[in-house]
Amino acid sequence: MDRPSHLSVVIDLDPSRWDTLNLSLFLSHLLGFFNAHVAAKHENTLAVFGAFPAKSVMLYSSSDPIAEIPPNDANSYPPFKLVDSTVVNRIARELELIADDDLDAPVALVGALTKALCYINRLTVEANAATTSSTDQSLEPVALPDPRILIVSVSPDITSSYIPVMNSIFSAQKLKVTIDACQISGPENVFLQQATHLTGGSFIYAERQDALLQYLIMALLSPPSVRRTIAVPTQDKIDFRATCFCHKNIVDIGFVCSVCLSIFCQPVPVCSTCRTKFPIKTLQKLNSSRPPLPQSNSSRAPTPSSSSARPSTTPRPPATPPTGSDQRHLPRSVVNGHAP
Amino acid sequence: MAPPKHDDFMDMASDSDNSFDEGLQRKGKGKSKSTDKRKKDQNKRKPKDVQAYTWEASYTRSWEAVREDEAGSLQHAVEDYVARGRRKRLQDPSTAIRRTIIRHLVLVLDLSASMLDRDMRPTRFSLTLQYAREFVLEWFDQNPLGQMGVVGMRAGVGERIGSMTGNPQDVLKAISDRHKLEPSGDTSLQNAVEMARNSMNHLPTHSSREIVIIFGSLTTVDPGNIHETLEECIKSKIRISMVALAAEMKICRDLCVKTGGQFGVALNEGHFKDLLFELVPPPAQRSLSRAAGAGATTTSANLMLMGFPTRLPGASPPSLCVCHSDLKSDGFLCPRCLAKVCDVPTDCDICGLMIVSSPHLARSYHHLFPVKPYVAVESLDESSPTCCGCARPFPTVVSQTVTEGVSPIGRYRCPDCRQDFCSDCDVFIHDVLHCCPACGK
Amino acid sequence: MPATVRQRPQPGQKNPDSSTHALLPFLQVQSATALSRLYQSPSSCLSIFRLLAPVERQIVMNLLWLESAMTPSTLAAWVTTEGQKLYDSSLDTLSHLHILHNYPTKLALNTTFKTSLRHAITGGGTTGSFGVPAEKDEKRLPLDVEGLDSYALERWETILHFMVSSGTGQNPQRPSPGVLYLLQRSGLMGNQHGSLQITSAGFQFLLHESHAQLWNLLLQYLHMAEERQMDLVEVLSFLFMLSTMELGREYSTENLSKTQKAMLEDLRDYGLLWQRRPTSRRFSPTRLATTLTSSSPDLPSSTGASSTGFIVLETNYRVYAYTDNPLQTAILNLFVSLKYRFPNLVVGSITRDSVKRALNNGISADQIISYLVTHAHPQMRKNNPLLPVTVQDQIRLWELEKNRLKSQEGYLYTSFASQADYEYVLNYAKQMELVLWENNAKRSFFGSIEGHANIRSFIERRSAGGSG
Repeated sequence: MDRPSHLSVVIDLDPSRWDTLNLSLFLSHLLGFFNAHVAAKHENTLAVFGAFPAKSVMLYSSSDPIAEIPPNDANSYPPFKLVDSTVVNRIARELELIADDDLDAPVALVGALTKALCYINRLTVEANAATTSSTDQSLEPVALPDPRILIVSVSPDITSSYIPVMNSIFSAQKLKVTIDACQISGPENVFLQQATHLTGGSFIYAERQDALLQYLIMALLSPPSVRRTIAVPTQDKIDFRATCFCHKNIVDIGFVCSVCLSIFCQPVPVCSTCRTKFPIKTLQKLNSSRPPLPQSNSSRAPTPSSSSARPSTTPRPPATPPTGSDQRHLPRSVVNGHAP
Repeated sequence: MAPPKHDDFMDMASDSDNSFDEGLQRKGKGKSKSTDKRKKDQNKRKPKDVQAYTWEASYTRSWEAVREDEAGSLQHAVEDYVARGRRKRLQDPSTAIRRTIIRHLVLVLDLSASMLDRDMRPTRFSLTLQYAREFVLEWFDQNPLGQMGVVGMRAGVGERIGSMTGNPQDVLKAISDRHKLEPSGDTSLQNAVEMARNSMNHLPTHSSREIVIIFGSLTTVDPGNIHETLEECIKSKIRISMVALAAEMKICRDLCVKTGGQFGVALNEGHFKDLLFELVPPPAQRSLSRAAGAGATTTSANLMLMGFPTRLPGASPPSLCVCHSDLKSDGFLCPRCLAKVCDVPTDCDICGLMIVSSPHLARSYHHLFPVKPYVAVESLDESSPTCCGCARPFPTVVSQTVTEGVSPIGRYRCPDCRQDFCSDCDVFIHDVLHCCPACGK
Repeated sequence: MPATVRQRPQPGQKNPDSSTHALLPFLQVQSATALSRLYQSPSSCLSIFRLLAPVERQIVMNLLWLESAMTPSTLAAWVTTEGQKLYDSSLDTLSHLHILHNYPTKLALNTTFKTSLRHAITGGGTTGSFGVPAEKDEKRLPLDVEGLDSYALERWETILHFMVSSGTGQNPQRPSPGVLYLLQRSGLMGNQHGSLQITSAGFQFLLHESHAQLWNLLLQYLHMAEERQMDLVEVLSFLFMLSTMELGREYSTENLSKTQKAMLEDLRDYGLLWQRRPTSRRFSPTRLATTLTSSSPDLPSSTGASSTGFIVLETNYRVYAYTDNPLQTAILNLFVSLKYRFPNLVVGSITRDSVKRALNNGISADQIISYLVTHAHPQMRKNNPLLPVTVQDQIRLWELEKNRLKSQEGYLYTSFASQADYEYVLNYAKQMELVLWENNAKRSFFGSIEGHANIRSFIERRSAGGSG
């Protein structure tokens, strides 16, 4: 069915990173993308969130009218103009407001993401209230649009935000929100890859900034219903290995505290997170079973930087077909051909 | 694995700083619950005596629960409902407490003839199956590292319906075919508990062992002395919880109370579900006492060896999995023995390593690091005009009805970052998101 | 799910079940030059873009910013195996609309369309196709949004009410002659005994959703415009311009062409736009106009209840309609026998007679059922199935009852000279599958009208052969 869809966009606006990139070019591409989303359907809704150092701001939402309506002119569609001017003005204003000592603070991507989720929750609640006058929960909301979140990121992972990001991902799963991500520069963001994988979204790494709009439109514009027909690139190889809490090593066999689930790369007598003491017997037993481990660990040698060194698996639209499409028929043909 | 230690489970842990507040918490909770329940009882019992037919029941109840105020408005009743939820949350611990994250549970279903009673619509049996399915899904959602088995009580014996597994689909499959589960005969509590206990005997001590029984019968036909079974359960630290559908029985209550579980009698369909779903969140871990000493005797906490598998992409060449011997291309590779399994979390069938993916660990973190409850803002001051979460404008008029724990101006403030949120966001943040949007904690 | 299994109708063929917009088939039969002229206006491109199906929109977007043409296989690599059919038919539709250029050798957008849609999305250009706003007039403030809504609603309901109450002896307010002419031309109303009477097409029209009704009427208007020698491109681009205008704003008539100025009057009668005076040089579009390209039924909050549904139907055929809108009551009256009327509630029941009356008016059982479904009260929506099965089945049975007799024209062949003669001719007719009825005792059979010539010549040949 042709249902309206909601798009919340989270933009990473870390000034220290944008110094080296062309922000105005980027914004013009992004605005083109916003307009393409609004153009697709009269009922489509849009919200834009900005993640600045140490704070996150809602830049635009189609449900909250803005006081300053731009003067109309005969050559542009009023809603487009409204989005463009609001977003550009708000970003400029917020960037000016950033205090100098905040410049080095980590960008509040989590804040913006959680705000986007709160906003989608609000839309869901409102849609439910509108369609059902009673409090019957079993009723499927009729008017609820397909919600999506697009994260445009320029920053690498912030390890301290691992738990909030994961919590956001699980909330998104509960709200049936698809998270898409587009990374523009920097090392590949593993958290975002996990987010898109777990919510069934698409992750792209835009290598060429001048073709950003084409990347966005090809891979991230279509609502889930269209993606069943025209596939979008999905991430095939996701790093689900964990990082240990003690040395930030990536481990494939780790030691986990049963109380707080902290991960360690070697047996420790006391959990550093919850200060639980572990029984000596276990330690001895684990240590005795350890010898084969260092070998296998060193052979795989996952250094912390390995995530950035891995080759990009993102298809380059439009040259490479998305992996999603050949997933479907490949196994069958192999089974028929030569089973091992 | 270390054999289960035999010590008094009410002992307090030496190193737990939380044991004290936790005790308080539990006490407070228990008290409020019992008063709550009594209130509920009064509400529910009256119509139950009067009503002639069960099918009238749900109609009677729906308006029993809501009361109009003097002006005939329902607003107050709705607010009251919201406030109750908030107060309940306030009682929940705001600091991190120990919870048993790795759970093992045996769900025991009564499949005796008494389950064919129609006092719950359509029958106790169908309703139980339906709720059991929902329970399984919700339980695995909140306890991704848990494992569950299913045992049935039918014709005087315990029947293994589904063996311990970490895959919700396997459990659901086990209880999906109602024709295989058709109730008959008597219940034997002892047989079922023994069977459940035996299936959990080998488990390490850091994981919980729980039995949840849905009990519809008023009798139990046992081959031996059930009190011995109870002693055994206490010894092996099995926590038994029970939802009775008929009436309270002394032995049932004893089983639950003495093992530290919960016992409840379902008054109606909704209450049945409430009782069952109270068992979903991971229980606070029973702390071990200081008196018992920190030494080697307390083994409730432990260091576990876990493997984080490599996920095979869907386009990789297909191969057989070790768990079902199915030929498929996607799957996960055990990092130790490189065997291929279909789904995580699971124990590797070859080397026995517990295989989890990091999102599974992360899914449990919110139990360990909850968001601090927000404070209801009492008066309008120089706060922002819109909700910090969803940007909804706050109401500017002050509500006249004063309820404890509910802000008259609809604002709830995070104690850390001093930002205001609307009540919808307050609920959403604490129940689903588990992360404050403003301060990211 | 329906998006993937949905079958697209062939171009030009109208299929009310499909989500294809009613206008697209009309556009598909227009000439390439006309469409090309239409595509010069950014607002038209934007509106047509919105009328497309989701997959078609995505294809257009994928191609929009490419400078060079793509080989079809490049994009086809993105298509999933199960979406192939839908994808192919989407490309077909686009190429029929001349949006795709040179398909199937190359994938590229029509250059005019591409330029205009780019202008629409980025702003810019000098076409002024989104309407020239009028200067602020301090003395005469424009009508506010509520005023426009009530104006549009009043206009629209006048038309519907006139249709529904024609022939019932009531004398509702008559719409303007232009509207009456359109209704008559479109076959929704017919001239009987000197007065306009609603036709069966008109009854069916009434049961559609308001959005579909509006487009239905506009399509008729477009057909009429062709006959009136109006420039279709200008008519269409004016409609599309209206659909991209902003509600509650005044626009100037300065830049409109002559045809478009002439349209102002017609559209005012339909309630699509508002003017203070017929000669005024400014106009405001109403919500009917600005939501033309949205898919939702957006009649401006037509007395509250209609947006959420107001009908409760019980298994005992009782209908409770929570409405005080005379139009809705009148429409219900088409197939419900109304019993009581309260300030906000109408009670009636569906009876055999009331349904038969509706069927006689040309309304089908499916239309009645779909009307009840679309306007079901939120409380009803908890039921599964939504309408009581007994009632649905009974309405369908009543319709079948009407079809008990099937008439077919033909010829009766009788008074054969001998049994052999009779059987011989009958066998021939049976081989040709022309026999509708036969009676051996009376030696007569009934043949269909198409076969008469054959049978007749066969008999003639035989009798000629017999005699000769």
